[in-house]
Amino acid sequence: MRCLPQELPLGDAPLTGKQPVWDLPVRLVHWTLAGLVVFSWWSVHNHHTDWHIWSGIAILTLLIFRLLWGFVGSSTARWTGFIRGPRTIASYLRGGWYGIGHSPLGALSVIALFGAVGVQVGLGLIAEDEDGIYAGPLSRLVSIATSEKARDIHELWFNVILGLIVLHLGAIIFYRLRGKSLVAPMITGKAATDPRARPMRPGKWWIALICLAIAFALSRWVVAGAPPFGP
Amino acid sequence: MRIHLVAAAAVVSVAAASVAFAALPKDKALAIMHERHEGMEKIGDTNKLLRREFASSAPFAPAVKSGAATIAGLAKQASGWFPPGTGPEMGNTGAKAAIWQNQKDFQGKLVAFQQAAAAFNAAAASGNMDSAKARYIAMIDTCDACHKSYRSEMHH
Repeated sequence: MRCLPQELPLGDAPLTGKQPVWDLPVRLVHWTLAGLVVFSWWSVHNHHTDWHIWSGIAILTLLIFRLLWGFVGSSTARWTGFIRGPRTIASYLRGGWYGIGHSPLGALSVIALFGAVGVQVGLGLIAEDEDGIYAGPLSRLVSIATSEKARDIHELWFNVILGLIVLHLGAIIFYRLRGKSLVAPMITGKAATDPRARPMRPGKWWIALICLAIAFALSRWVVAGAPPFGP
Repeated sequence: MRIHLVAAAAVVSVAAASVAFAALPKDKALAIMHERHEGMEKIGDTNKLLRREFASSAPFAPAVKSGAATIAGLAKQASGWFPPGTGPEMGNTGAKAAIWQNQKDFQGKLVAFQQAAAAFNAAAASGNMDSAKARYIAMIDTCDACHKSYRSEMHH
């Protein structure tokens, strides 16, 4: 009974008008993350290492929030809602997939970007600059040699993120050329959807607030130097 | 006559000295740049050790004392680390050419660092770790203030 109005029969007239596909938290996380990645890159290359570190902490907060929202958020935000196996990906590539939210292939991109940025934040937290002026809040938990190694990898790892960003932008252009805008839905939250697709089930705003509070608390804990506030 | 000779000799030697100053021999310049690099690296490494001391609830006073003395000593030597002719035109260095274009500002920042390093050293020697920590942070700020304008990323 509950599924009835959600699955329109095949052959029915396509839904006119746009349907919600991305909730507000997903969109905010997306654009804030994009902005902070650019800001992190700019600030560290312009002698604003302090801003760079705070930008990294902000990204950490976003990642924690998004991780949690992926369990309790809207249907299109949930990890289980879009992570699919190779068979579904292959079927998608053959055109046999319909749905809203991340496509099975796009899901790989989400995981890769989320993971790569997560690794970058982790490295930054324990890294230390060459001159001993700036250090990530958790650098005191590791040896100087480890901090330096982390900084070197942190620098190199940016290229991995850059590669994924290029791939991400390439995919946007690819879909655009095939007549599908991915950017507009990420701004408005709405898109023309396949009538056979199950509509988005929105998350609750107060659950989003709880996730945000947890994300802030955990980030604050990291800023304080973690375990019992320091080594 | 003798006075003239002496005066002439003085003029000649001053001229020779200024020529030598303007054109530091390459091997001399490279030696200073090397000494500067090693010295700065040592200061940086000592900073890292000190940060870990101050991050703990009970900094180990002898380690703080020795670190502060190391930095204060190197800070004094830093007066001789930036003669003209030891900039990026001479070789691979983290020192920006701006150092020699804004001598007054640069020297002011260098002196600020030297004074802060001396103050940190005095605080560390007194054994008061709270005041040593405050002086350490103040000193790090002088490093940062100078590096923001005059240090470039150096790949070696």
